[in-house]
Amino acid sequence: MNKQRLQTCWSLFGVVLVAAWGQLLPVRFNGRMPQASGGDVLALVLGEARLEISRSLTEKADEYFHGGVRDLHCDEGIVSHAHAVSSKGLGTNGVARAGMGHADRDGDHDEGHDDHDAEHASGVSARGDLWRWIDSRVHEQTHRHLKSDQMIEVLPWFWAASRVSGKNTEAYESGAYVLAYALDKPEEGVKLLEEGVRNNPAAPSLDFMMGEILLHLEHDSARAEPWFTSAHAKARAALQGAKRTDEQKMVCLRSAFYLGYLAKQRGDWARVRAFADEAESLAPENVVTHDLRSLLKADQPKP
Amino acid sequence: MNIVGYRQVRALAGLSVLELYRRKDLIVVFLLCAIILLPLMLFSPFGVSGASRYVDELALLLVWVFSLVIGLGVSARLFPPEFENRTIYPMLSKPVGRGTLLAGKYMGALAASVSALVVFYLAYALLIGMRQGVWFPGILLQAFVLHVGFLVVVTALGLAGSLVMTPSANLTLCALTLLGMLFYGQRLPELAASQQPFGRCMLLALYAVGPHVEFFDLRQRVVHEWPAIGWDVCLAVMVYAVGYAAVCLMLAALAFRKKKF
Repeated sequence: MNKQRLQTCWSLFGVVLVAAWGQLLPVRFNGRMPQASGGDVLALVLGEARLEISRSLTEKADEYFHGGVRDLHCDEGIVSHAHAVSSKGLGTNGVARAGMGHADRDGDHDEGHDDHDAEHASGVSARGDLWRWIDSRVHEQTHRHLKSDQMIEVLPWFWAASRVSGKNTEAYESGAYVLAYALDKPEEGVKLLEEGVRNNPAAPSLDFMMGEILLHLEHDSARAEPWFTSAHAKARAALQGAKRTDEQKMVCLRSAFYLGYLAKQRGDWARVRAFADEAESLAPENVVTHDLRSLLKADQPKP
Repeated sequence: MNIVGYRQVRALAGLSVLELYRRKDLIVVFLLCAIILLPLMLFSPFGVSGASRYVDELALLLVWVFSLVIGLGVSARLFPPEFENRTIYPMLSKPVGRGTLLAGKYMGALAASVSALVVFYLAYALLIGMRQGVWFPGILLQAFVLHVGFLVVVTALGLAGSLVMTPSANLTLCALTLLGMLFYGQRLPELAASQQPFGRCMLLALYAVGPHVEFFDLRQRVVHEWPAIGWDVCLAVMVYAVGYAAVCLMLAALAFRKKKF
């Protein structure tokens, strides 16, 4: 065997050895490898940074909603806008949106608010600074919200955000809202929320939104009630934990309202009263508590 | 400049334009754009089609990136090969004055970059025309005009840098400066305010003399269908571009005059 052939043989042997070692490693150190088996490429490459990237993609969607204006302190977000856009259709089955306030119930919330047309200069005074003066003229911003038929523009960013990280509940929530309320595709919204619930089993807001879409848009109280029940249970469990948030409290109150409303439809007044008492103990001054009390007062049969 | 000088400048500029198309840089970046954009155009998130702004934004971003690459690449590669191959001697002994040579090279780099930009904007206009049915909106013309202003500055900076630095150092420094100014140009005073006196002076000096290429960026206006800016503002920005390029070329002429080959 000449020297060249020997080198080739050694090289081939090296390749086979490395390949075999690569196959052997996960078997030999099963469960102790830094990468989890079945993890996708994004998980391997980006790791924990995925959630941050996903959040920035959600912010990009918000920027699109505000007509391309960044870093804006505007009270109206995608979800509240979708509520406003769809509020006319919500009264049809006789139940108002829980916790959205009374204006929503009339269907006139933010009517004509699609375009603020508030002129935003670059935000900083350009006095005595020529460069800033030119920039403020070039980049003078017109803040206007997307109209409901334009809301499709934010979808690619929510799609990307939910694909980059399944833990970004806001991406699922807002994406489902846009699909269901602004674009009138509730089944697509439900599918997205189902995926969100699979990825975030402890997040009550996704269950709650699922219930809302099924009740308000699909008019299917039988499918909606289990979602409100699970949202209520998850929110209550979260409220008993160390990290209580106002959002969890609101989900708990609002799902209690819907459960109370559905119980009222069946004439189960004891259950309505139980939810009203629970809301009273959680937040006595909240509008949802007031709505629950109204449910009891309005139609309760006289003894 | 007399008629002979004008012809010399035109001949030198023509050579630079030919060089761009001979190297097929434009075809490569055009193919790259197509490879990135075509799948995105066919993409429908959550099974819903009709979103277009994200494609517009990405297309314009690619136009900006590739115009920067072409503008900087063409201008920074004009003189170094002439010095390396010593072809600068026969060129200067034609006789072509150093000023004429510099002007010709600059005009060539600018013409080549702008010709590539025309192709990019035509492709972009076709893209939005076919997808959205909007053909050549007014804001797109302004975006193109200001983008030309951007190239006026970029090519002048690249050419000046090529006379005082090595090609790799020039490309790196110019790219960093231009991208830094594009993204942080208007935030420099706020950044300076939170620095120690030395850092503050440096940042404020950069703010004063750095190339404010953010003036030329109308991408947000185009993508989100904002109204067009006033043409007086457009003119003011173009005056800035020409003024900045003139200063760069004067410094380049100074460096070229003192350069020993």
